[in-house]
Amino acid sequence: MTTVDSELEPVPSAVSGERLTAPRPKPAGRPRRRQGGFTPYALLTPALIVLALIVGWPLIQLIITSFQKFGRAQVFGAPPEWVWLENYAKVLTDPVFYGVLSRTLVFAAACVVLTMLVGTLIALMMTRLPKTFRTLLSVGMLLAWAMPALTATVVWGWMFDTAYGVINHVLVNTFGLEEYFQHSWLIDPLSFFFVAGIIIVWGAVPFTAFTLYAGLTQVPDEVLEAAQLDGAGGFQRFRLIIFPYLKPVFLIVTILQVIWDLRVFTQIFALQDIGGIRALTSTLGVYIYQTSIAGGEFGQGGAIAVVTAILLMSISIYYVRQVTKEEEL
Amino acid sequence: MSATVAPGQKVGGLFAEAAPTDLAKRTGGGRRRLTTWVLSAVSVVLFLLFVFPVYWMVNTSFQPNNAIRGSDIHYWPDNFTLRNYETVLFDPGRTPFLPAAGNSLVITILTVIIALVFAFLASIAVTRFRFASRRTFIIVILVVQMIPGEAMIVSIFRVIDGWHLLNTIAGLTLVYIATVLPFTIWTLRGFVNGVPVELEEAAMIDGCSRAGAFWRVTFPLLAPGLVATGVFGFIQAWNEFIMALVLNARPEMMTLPVWLRTFLVSTGTTNWAAIMAGSTLMAIPVIVFFLIVQGRMTSGLVSGAVKG
Amino acid sequence: MRKLGIVALGAAAALTLAGCASGGTGGEEGAEIRVWLVGTDTPDEAREYLVDTFEEEHPGSTLVIEEQSWEGLVDRLTTSLSGSDSPDVVEVGNTQASAFTSAGAFLDITEYYDELGGDDLLPGFVEAGSYDDKFYAAPLYSGSRLVFYKKDALAAAGLSVPTTLDDYVANGKALAAANPGKSGIWWPGQDWYNALPFIWENGGEVAVPDGEEWDAQLSSAESVAGLTQVQDVMTNASAAPKDANETGPEVGFCDGTTLQLSAPSWVKWSILAPADAEAPGCPDQEANLGVYALPGKDGGAAQVFAGGSNIGVSAKSAHPDLAVDALKIILSDEFQTIYGKGGLVPAKLSLADTLGTDEVAQAIAAAAGNAKLTPASPKWADVEAAGILQDLFVKIAQGGDVQSLAEAADEEIEAILNS
Repeated sequence: MTTVDSELEPVPSAVSGERLTAPRPKPAGRPRRRQGGFTPYALLTPALIVLALIVGWPLIQLIITSFQKFGRAQVFGAPPEWVWLENYAKVLTDPVFYGVLSRTLVFAAACVVLTMLVGTLIALMMTRLPKTFRTLLSVGMLLAWAMPALTATVVWGWMFDTAYGVINHVLVNTFGLEEYFQHSWLIDPLSFFFVAGIIIVWGAVPFTAFTLYAGLTQVPDEVLEAAQLDGAGGFQRFRLIIFPYLKPVFLIVTILQVIWDLRVFTQIFALQDIGGIRALTSTLGVYIYQTSIAGGEFGQGGAIAVVTAILLMSISIYYVRQVTKEEEL
Repeated sequence: MSATVAPGQKVGGLFAEAAPTDLAKRTGGGRRRLTTWVLSAVSVVLFLLFVFPVYWMVNTSFQPNNAIRGSDIHYWPDNFTLRNYETVLFDPGRTPFLPAAGNSLVITILTVIIALVFAFLASIAVTRFRFASRRTFIIVILVVQMIPGEAMIVSIFRVIDGWHLLNTIAGLTLVYIATVLPFTIWTLRGFVNGVPVELEEAAMIDGCSRAGAFWRVTFPLLAPGLVATGVFGFIQAWNEFIMALVLNARPEMMTLPVWLRTFLVSTGTTNWAAIMAGSTLMAIPVIVFFLIVQGRMTSGLVSGAVKG
Repeated sequence: MRKLGIVALGAAAALTLAGCASGGTGGEEGAEIRVWLVGTDTPDEAREYLVDTFEEEHPGSTLVIEEQSWEGLVDRLTTSLSGSDSPDVVEVGNTQASAFTSAGAFLDITEYYDELGGDDLLPGFVEAGSYDDKFYAAPLYSGSRLVFYKKDALAAAGLSVPTTLDDYVANGKALAAANPGKSGIWWPGQDWYNALPFIWENGGEVAVPDGEEWDAQLSSAESVAGLTQVQDVMTNASAAPKDANETGPEVGFCDGTTLQLSAPSWVKWSILAPADAEAPGCPDQEANLGVYALPGKDGGAAQVFAGGSNIGVSAKSAHPDLAVDALKIILSDEFQTIYGKGGLVPAKLSLADTLGTDEVAQAIAAAAGNAKLTPASPKWADVEAAGILQDLFVKIAQGGDVQSLAEAADEEIEAILNS
């Protein structure tokens, strides 16, 4: 992920505002690290303790549980029975699981693509907007970004409300689309995910756009000017000249969106409270919750979680590999 | 040439004066001006799309419940009332808002501060030192973010219960710290990596101790990074509700998301006006916080990302 | 750096310590008893009575009522009851009770059975709260479902109160036809409780025990006949949203779009709530508000779903004796009478007359006399929590094929009940 710096531009310093030339990094761009003896471990201790207790230990329990018949009685103290791979067999032969899985993958993919596309376009647009309009747009996006996910879901749910929602009202009264009178947006799974997608993309675009815009401001002027003088077409110019500069930022934002969208929970969970058919609209996170906590099948829920984690890891293996390579330097 | 943002470089804050790359300034000719106008118009439309839900929430919150159920739609609160806020804030029959807001605020602030401190220390360890399990640690930090937390609720519940930390600020804070730590360490690591060791070494030549050099030279350069990662911790802790629902079931220990959901499911969808008032109250602190730190957020993100 | 490390560790230690200090509870003296009541069914008067009486009988101790919502209750009980900070006395839906009695979540209160009311307690609910011949959760109240209607609308359409289930359906459709855009029978898609009488009256069942296993019966010919009738009502008599749940029945009734609806008996009070209340009602409709018990297939009262609650003491309660005392107050005649006056069926048979003698009371008595429960399996709560029935009826409301939907639902129900 790290770009290898061959040479640093003189940059304005945040400390004093004056221009200072950062020292030239080592040729290989390899960070110099000390042999610290005991110190690094001491530095890691607080984080490690918290992680071991709140993530590590429950994780081990989760894996153990996934090999057991673990129901509500076991939560209240009955000894669990080992069933080894039975939970996994059940999950992997369950068509419902594959339904949830493919639904989650398709939905996340759609959200990521849409978020990145809209975010990039807005970021590019911002570089060309007069200041007033850029500020206006920024304020709007900041507000959307600041809306907590649960609040946003509730508000959109209200706007899409069957009986009194503003969207049905406008469609019927302004556009004369009578079929939207008392139209239920959440009952049809596809339509449910349309609404959920709007909520997620609406909330995620600001982050993407801001970050990419900040990345764009780092593209040197000369490069942009040169690109314009060459008369390259808009898309070509972006792909060949600007994108290489943007790539690292673009990549990390994409990875984050992938992780977040695959693990989406709050929006779906809360939207199901408002309407919609649970069985046809659950994504992996919600499905795990329903199986284990609501359904009392903790063993099976554990198995689903383990399978999901393995899946997420294999999806992001490219990223992990990049990191590993870098760390091996 | 480098695509890297040097640490501490002031990358355009959201409202910052246009960066040197402001293309609009260098535009000329009718076609360009036309494009600018079209883009400006598009930006206004986008602005409305982003703002409308927020506006609609506030608008609904100021109307009586029977007005918003009428056949007419009120595009502005023409029969303005504060009744919904009274209901939300002071109705004795409901779980009160203020204690929940207090809990959320305390938990969120504690989470952000402690997670930043822990992550900061950890990120120094992995960027400035060489040690046996360094690589393993980094990979673990990455992989941990991919485990669906919903499955671990019961195990986490038991751990917290084991220490008698159910229904406490400390218990939930601890869980949130663990939740945000991997991402925070991951991002901060990028920032610390971006500060050349040579800067510290130069300071050491001037007579600083190693820690002193770090503290005086590197730390100030990390400010945007700390803000950027802090924002994520803030969002996470402020919005999380499943763990909060399970761990802090006592009404007086609820956090805001749990409070809002309780409100939503107990009134069903029959009292949208009050629900919108509650939503508005829950969103305000985040908006205020964002406005305060906005200038630092994205600049931090970019340098963190690039170095990630 | 070391300094920073110490500060960080100190912060962690402080966190832990702070938690320990607040987690402990004192001895019997000055104990706090936490009672979880669900929803708003229990009237304020009853709540005050409980708190006052308990604190009078146990000076120095306090009783706190924590109101929970029905939504996600099973989830919360699963964790909360298993933790050390468990609430002491908890209400649970009668159909959910067995999930917890069988798991050992409740204290065995067999020895108090007689003191709590003995054979005077509602038998169906005692059964729901027992497991392995031990008594874990006492009846709290039963709500029965009634049909509310607008007298003027029924009269205007030239109809009278139906005497059979088929008449009821025909009436609803006739009302809807005479009043386009309005609900002859308001029936939001997720409301599965109202569908049960249709299944039962047609001779069907949800699930029946078959040896060790359960056999789901929704796709039997009898059940499908009932479900088809339900679909008929949902599509031809109801203008309610097909995917909504049953909250807020008074809204449509008051704005005039609902002419008839089947709902728990206490909905009467929602309808008659003051017009400027937070959840506004329409007290001016009192004279126009008619009520009757849902009629059966062959006349008489239909077998309706006996919704209601059980209440038990958490096995992890720190003060089981005090909790049992609180339970005794809850099952006292004084406390239960308040339910009766509020239109809920008290937990004791002998208090049935507290319902009064008006139209509503008679209808309630008629309905309660013929009430029926969902399958008595510890796993039934999981079927409810998974939302299988809500989903099924939403799809039926949309006009899906009843037979294949019922078969699919049967499969899901069996998968849970027999897992």
